[in-house]
Amino acid sequence: MKKLTLAAIVGLGLMSGSALAASAWTGGDDQPTSPLACDATPAAAAAKPYDGGVPTNAPDRKGKKITVVDVPKLIGIGYFNATSKGIADAAKELGNVDAKTDGPTKANIDDQITFIDNYITSGVDGILFAANDPVAIAPVLKKALSKGINVVGYDANSTPDARQWFVNQAQFNGIAKALVDNMAKEAGEDAGVAIVTSTFTTPNQARWIAEMAAYAEKCHPKMKWLETVEAQEDNNLSFNQATTLINKYGDDLKGIFGMTSVATPASAEAVTQAGKCGKIAVVGLATPNAMKPYVAKDCVKSVVLWNPVDLGYAAMMVLRAVADGTLQPGATTVKAGKLGDLQVINGSEILLGAPYTFTKDNIGQFDF
Amino acid sequence: MTAAVLSPGRSNLHRFLSGYGQEIVVLLAIVALFVVVGATNHRFLSNTNINSIFAGNAYIAIAAIGMSMVIMAGHIDVSVGALIGVIATIAGTLAVSDYPIWVAWLVPILFAIMVNAGVGTLVAYTRIPSIVVTLGMLSILKGGLISATAGEWISNLPPEFMIAQMRPFGIPSAVWFMVALTILAALFLRYTDFGRSIYAVGGNMEAARAAGINPERTVIGVFALHGLFAGIAGILFATQLQVIQSTVPPNLELTIITASVIGGVSILGGTGTVIGSTLAAILFACIGSALIFLNVSAYWLRAVLGLMILATVLADMIRRRRDT
Repeated sequence: MKKLTLAAIVGLGLMSGSALAASAWTGGDDQPTSPLACDATPAAAAAKPYDGGVPTNAPDRKGKKITVVDVPKLIGIGYFNATSKGIADAAKELGNVDAKTDGPTKANIDDQITFIDNYITSGVDGILFAANDPVAIAPVLKKALSKGINVVGYDANSTPDARQWFVNQAQFNGIAKALVDNMAKEAGEDAGVAIVTSTFTTPNQARWIAEMAAYAEKCHPKMKWLETVEAQEDNNLSFNQATTLINKYGDDLKGIFGMTSVATPASAEAVTQAGKCGKIAVVGLATPNAMKPYVAKDCVKSVVLWNPVDLGYAAMMVLRAVADGTLQPGATTVKAGKLGDLQVINGSEILLGAPYTFTKDNIGQFDF
Repeated sequence: MTAAVLSPGRSNLHRFLSGYGQEIVVLLAIVALFVVVGATNHRFLSNTNINSIFAGNAYIAIAAIGMSMVIMAGHIDVSVGALIGVIATIAGTLAVSDYPIWVAWLVPILFAIMVNAGVGTLVAYTRIPSIVVTLGMLSILKGGLISATAGEWISNLPPEFMIAQMRPFGIPSAVWFMVALTILAALFLRYTDFGRSIYAVGGNMEAARAAGINPERTVIGVFALHGLFAGIAGILFATQLQVIQSTVPPNLELTIITASVIGGVSILGGTGTVIGSTLAAILFACIGSALIFLNVSAYWLRAVLGLMILATVLADMIRRRRDT
């Protein structure tokens, strides 16, 4: 009896599941997509009124020396060391900014609020932040605005009215284009590709996959999507899932997209251990340090993310422009030093630009 | 098992079936999966895929051996997933800090044995339920790991450290470990006094004491042994990939406990075999792989496992009611 029950359960589970399998790129959400142009033309920004906050009675800071504090999610990790370096680079280039980075050693919103509060009390002209929580950080940022302090976010946003501007590191359609273009270049226009993601319902990953499907259909119509598998953010599960994909599709599989910074190195490891380097391309979102071994062995050619040094640099440039009054609500672009003119999107966000692709030539310069 | 022993009139086959009933069910399920999925896509039966199935989950089977012993003794350990994460991180840290490789392998295992002997001592002498003690341990290990590593990964591991990637005679070393440890543990449970005392303590602690067994010492010993298996599992887990993620693998303890239970270890203690738990761990790996081959969402794996637990526990309860 028990035998029967068990067999029935396994069988039932497998059968009802098969019926659910859909044909589109699984793992994407069903929100509208906006694929970018196949060449490098940037998307036209939809007009949206300014929805950021405004500091109360801010003194005239035009051209004057200002003190700025940068409070990232946490300090002491490679990623925010890199943004901090970008901020310092920009401050040095500007010459009239005294910038420093200070913040919690753990990504803890309560600690971050305390840091910001203390700097408001000690008196600064500008605050840069990467929020640990978009809502919880809002009151202390509004307090800063009410004291006439300029507030600009980067990397992780707050609610819009709690800061003036936010530097957005990458848009979903931009990441999607970079991933799909690199895959087509490495694995061929008609490559069969599979995706290893966290879960089908993780918001960012679902958005990226939906944009990738839309962009591939528009610009690389022969690319053949085979399957999306879930691997949570688990290293070993990601490896097992990627290995199973390789075993399942054999020579039909030419490329694997890794949608998380866990899935991408684990997929590269699966390809390496299967002896398929050069036969199966791995393109994905990942941090450079995790990918260096595979890039060094030529098993992975492109790792897509943004450049955190540029992100910090842009945030500092934006803050200076706000303090100087050269960036006003309603502007469509802002000058950001060596990065050129950056585009204003979504009312009060500034887009860093196209994502950054780490390759064998440049990956050694990054440590995060 | 008792039923079979007490009814000498039944045939040998029947005795065998009732002694290893659950193991046979699990084995048949594995065979059925291979036949069904292999017929749909012959690549499922390829050497590489079978190797992946066995090697990728061998560490779960090994951890389930220790877990089975703990459950047989009437206890449970919900901290084993966190412990494996900590072991992996310690091993990786030692390996990249230029310690000899054998130190990087053995020190974490000793650490695991000590931690679990401590847990066992608390459980045995304070009589705090093991689920409470190990829940506390889970938080300590999880929190300690995140604080100590700040989420940084360990990479650049030396190649000679990667024991799970070695393939003696063409078979992944993790599979050798799984087979050898399962056989050793099965023999140990069946033929040593200590092994049999585990069943006795789990079945009825006071009866065991009356029979001259020291239940406290048995419980500490069982937890320490469980630490040994968790330690070996942790080393294999750590050496599977080029990087060690300094976080606790999600739901690992549940998968391990599930393997023990579906393998036929009674959640009430006193009965079960480690052959069953190893087969169950292999079954999970087969199902996980089969879901991808059949284009089924991995969410079904959890649902199927949940149903299997309920069915197994229910069957165990019914059997016990019938026996008493």
